[in-house]
Amino acid sequence: MSTKKMVWAVMGLAIILAACAPAATAVPAPVPTTPPIVITSAPVMVPAPTATTSYMDTLAAACKKEGSITLIADPPDWANYGTLMQTFGSRYGVSVNDLNPNGSSAEELAAIKANEGNTGPQAPDEVDVGYANGPLGKSEGLFAPYKVAHFDQIPIKDPDGYWYQDYYGVMSFEVNTKVVKDVPQDWSDLLKPEYKGMVALAGDPKGSNQGYMGVAAAALGNGGSLDNPQPGLDFFAKLNKAGNFVPVVARAASVGQGETPIVIRWDYLSLADRDTLAGNPPITTVIPKSGTLAGPYVMAVSAYAPHPNCAKLWMEFLYSDEGQIDWLRGYVHPARFDALVASGAVPADVLSSLPSAAAYSVTKIPTLDQVTNIQKVVTGGWDSTVGATVK
Amino acid sequence: MPFFLFVLFFLVYPSSTLVIGSFRDQAGHFTFANIVGLDNPYIVGAYSVSIRLSVVTAVGGAIFGFLLAYAAVRGGLPPFVRSGMMTFCGVASNFAGIPLAFAFIATLGRTGMVTQLLASIGLNPYDAGFSLYSFWGLAIVYLYFQFPLMVLIIAPALDGLRREWREAAENLGGNFIDYWRYVAFPILTPSILGTSILLFGNAFGAYATAYALTTGLVSLVTLRIGEQLAGDIGNISQGLGYAMALGMLVIMAVCVTGYTLLQRQSERWLK
Repeated sequence: MSTKKMVWAVMGLAIILAACAPAATAVPAPVPTTPPIVITSAPVMVPAPTATTSYMDTLAAACKKEGSITLIADPPDWANYGTLMQTFGSRYGVSVNDLNPNGSSAEELAAIKANEGNTGPQAPDEVDVGYANGPLGKSEGLFAPYKVAHFDQIPIKDPDGYWYQDYYGVMSFEVNTKVVKDVPQDWSDLLKPEYKGMVALAGDPKGSNQGYMGVAAAALGNGGSLDNPQPGLDFFAKLNKAGNFVPVVARAASVGQGETPIVIRWDYLSLADRDTLAGNPPITTVIPKSGTLAGPYVMAVSAYAPHPNCAKLWMEFLYSDEGQIDWLRGYVHPARFDALVASGAVPADVLSSLPSAAAYSVTKIPTLDQVTNIQKVVTGGWDSTVGATVK
Repeated sequence: MPFFLFVLFFLVYPSSTLVIGSFRDQAGHFTFANIVGLDNPYIVGAYSVSIRLSVVTAVGGAIFGFLLAYAAVRGGLPPFVRSGMMTFCGVASNFAGIPLAFAFIATLGRTGMVTQLLASIGLNPYDAGFSLYSFWGLAIVYLYFQFPLMVLIIAPALDGLRREWREAAENLGGNFIDYWRYVAFPILTPSILGTSILLFGNAFGAYATAYALTTGLVSLVTLRIGEQLAGDIGNISQGLGYAMALGMLVIMAVCVTGYTLLQRQSERWLK
């Protein structure tokens, strides 16, 4: 066969390979009947309401054999994750991988999907996503069920244990008071001309839970409701038109530097930034007067987790009294908050550092349907209402 | 043979995956829906903005890059200027993405260094309506990696302009303009055109820089593809992402064809 023919033959082969490959890795069908159950070496059993020491020991040993756990989108200064990851790693002798710390909920689910069958360090073992992404992930077969100890004490959860709430906080304004002399107290204040080029979101509203919940919170202060987030989009359109909106996704660094001195962010992150920046510059956290919402996040174990035992151990650790209180130190309200307070397990100093209960009285907690609707309306309507100028 | 394998795995295989993927729907069946789906005003708008941005930065990059290269190569400057500039250009042409976006925010953002400097002498650009987070702001950021690329590629071509030709032109009675019009530009045109196409492709494919700077507020095709693959939008579809990428391939193919035809024209007299 002449060289030329061989070249064409091999090219043709490559094209055929390309045609076959996508079929093998097609996106899983939307509603599988049973997700793949990951086989583990530890006995798979639903723990009793208080995990017995022997169960935890078995789990810890199995996890130690696995050697590491891969988490995703858990910034160290988010709800005290840094301390939690360190404690877990040193106590159980495993290394903790944190992929893409600033990733959005959408990116987390995409990471599970993209790494099906991959047992390397790029495949997340467990995710922490926005409320609406819980059922979404379950329906796409991305999660494995696992009921932690104290499962019954968690208020928001999937009854079969595919996902459950880890904590919530409230949408607030994080204000750099060195740059902003006159601190805005409410949504309508943000439209004032003195805040030109100052207001930012802390996540991309097309994919980040924090982003679209920020828009939905604005709706509450502008005539909308938890069922109707459209006024939030209109508010941002006005903000953008007035030149007050900065399209950069804000972080502690950009707040500190002054490029995004007013950020619409979860209150626990704002408080954590205040601690990190330690007065240089000073940060104030404002809960908008006319209303705001709470944003529960949910956790789930990946159905394709390369280290399933470590994933389970991590969940058990987080939902133990100690894990929950460490979360409290990150200024969030963890899932078992009410039960822990009732049993007197929370130290007084931690309790007093939380934002005041009075401020929380204007907070609305959305239901799952409302959050799902918010996600749909905001991610779908952002471009047409607020932004992408179709020139 | 090794080159052939390289081309196969890094060019042929991904391109065919792309082309075939754009004809598949979520369940893997053959469909034209993705191509038809391109007829959405947001997608068409994204192509339009991407093309405009790429053209603006390719032309701007070509012109300024050419002038800069000419100054460095033939401007009679001390030799260290040329080598210093080439090294800098090598770094700058690859310095795109998130670090570049943040470097510009720190320089030309609302509280950026240059902005503050200008504001202190009363010329705050933001008051005059400029914003880094707009089409033109993005264009300026892109130009940062566009002209160095132009300089790097054109400098050797400029080296090829022999002094004897200039002298010959003058001997025949031509002046500065005649020399450029009849001798230098025709020789340089293939390189300039080729580099401009390269700059166009470079800008057309940029993603991280635009995302870090505007988070999708300036609508570009690459950002839209990113949304399809890892976003939460209602109409999410991998196939649509592939179809948009196919569209980009088609546009680049048109450019390269155009370039090849122009180049044939301009090379005619060289033979």
